Amino acid sequence: MKRNVVEWAVLALSILAITTLVAALVIEGLSERRPANPTVELKTAEARLGALGWILPATVTNEGDAAVEAVILEAEATVDGELETSELEVPFLPAAGSVDVAFSFSAQPSDEVKVRLVGFREP
Amino acid sequence: MNETLSQSLRDYSRAAGGGLIIGMPLLYTMEVWFHAFLLPWWKLLLLLAIAFVLVVGYNAVAGFRRERTFVELLLDSLVALGLGIVISLVALIVLGQIEPGTSLRDAAGKVALETIPVSFGASVASSQLGGKGGSAGSRIPRGFARLLVGGGGALLFALNIAPTEEVIMLGVGASPLQLLGVVAATLFATYVLVHYADFGGSGRNRARGQSILEAPIPETLTGYVVSLLVALLLLWSFEWSEGAGFSAILAMTVYLGSIGAVGAAVARLLLGGGQEAGAK
Repeated sequence: MKRNVVEWAVLALSILAITTLVAALVIEGLSERRPANPTVELKTAEARLGALGWILPATVTNEGDAAVEAVILEAEATVDGELETSELEVPFLPAAGSVDVAFSFSAQPSDEVKVRLVGFREP
Repeated sequence: MNETLSQSLRDYSRAAGGGLIIGMPLLYTMEVWFHAFLLPWWKLLLLLAIAFVLVVGYNAVAGFRRERTFVELLLDSLVALGLGIVISLVALIVLGQIEPGTSLRDAAGKVALETIPVSFGASVASSQLGGKGGSAGSRIPRGFARLLVGGGGALLFALNIAPTEEVIMLGVGASPLQLLGVVAATLFATYVLVHYADFGGSGRNRARGQSILEAPIPETLTGYVVSLLVALLLLWSFEWSEGAGFSAILAMTVYLGSIGAVGAAVARLLLGGGQEAGAK
């Protein structure tokens, strides 16, 4: 059975797609995997006063090669002379993935906001 | 016969449409996106390879090109798989599940898992929804071909449920009596579907079976066994069997296998009752 130009083109595209997918899975699978490593980047320049308090946007990034679940983060700052914390949970953080979140305080803190990783679950 | 370009384009459009129709539920399933990342790469490749074998089997019996050599059959199946990959990639990008920030491993895993139903849909649409009708003559024994096609249908249907936690919930809460009921109901339902209800006139051929695998009761039983094996494969692939006891695995296999059995029955119906090809 002879194939026409369209059929040859689709066949070539298909073989290219299959080869690329298999190569991507094998190369990524065999490469060295770094353990999960969630990091937080605070976007202080984008902080704003909302209806319920001072909102501080942030980006949580997983710099490792393993996905994690239930990433709990705690931000701490001094507000009106008292130490205040803001806690949030990211349900799923894929490897090399990032999620935009926001911490919130009752008012603008007087000092620098410190963030710590409370913990996460390895699926 | 060299088909015209426009006819080829129509064939591929139909294949792409069929791939989307069959693949859409899984393209919208969150558990599939997550599992795509959590499963080891070699399991994804294994699932893809099994899906490819089943697509080849399906195309051998009901593919859209008639009178072709084995090499042409393989090339057509590669096209179905390739179309599945491209359609899955585009759909996942449109759905925002593959973005510029998505890692290569994440993207490849999602595309690999979604390609399974989409490539199957492309094959089905090419062979069943076109205007050329009829099952192709094939060198594969029809009884065995029905099992392969049944396995494809089972994989397609069970794959819709396998990534979700419902499988565990059903399996953990089941009593032995309930499981026996599920087995009996599944066998009865699939027997009626394929050999009694006369979908699309398939029943009119039921008396013409030539091999033992095509006689109604052995055909129903072997179809069910293939479905149970597919269910077990998926439970292992999606790691639901890890840490589970024998009775839990058995129960999950029975529940997932019942969905697979219905899929296998529908796939066998698409062949026109199995004896049609031989009757023509």
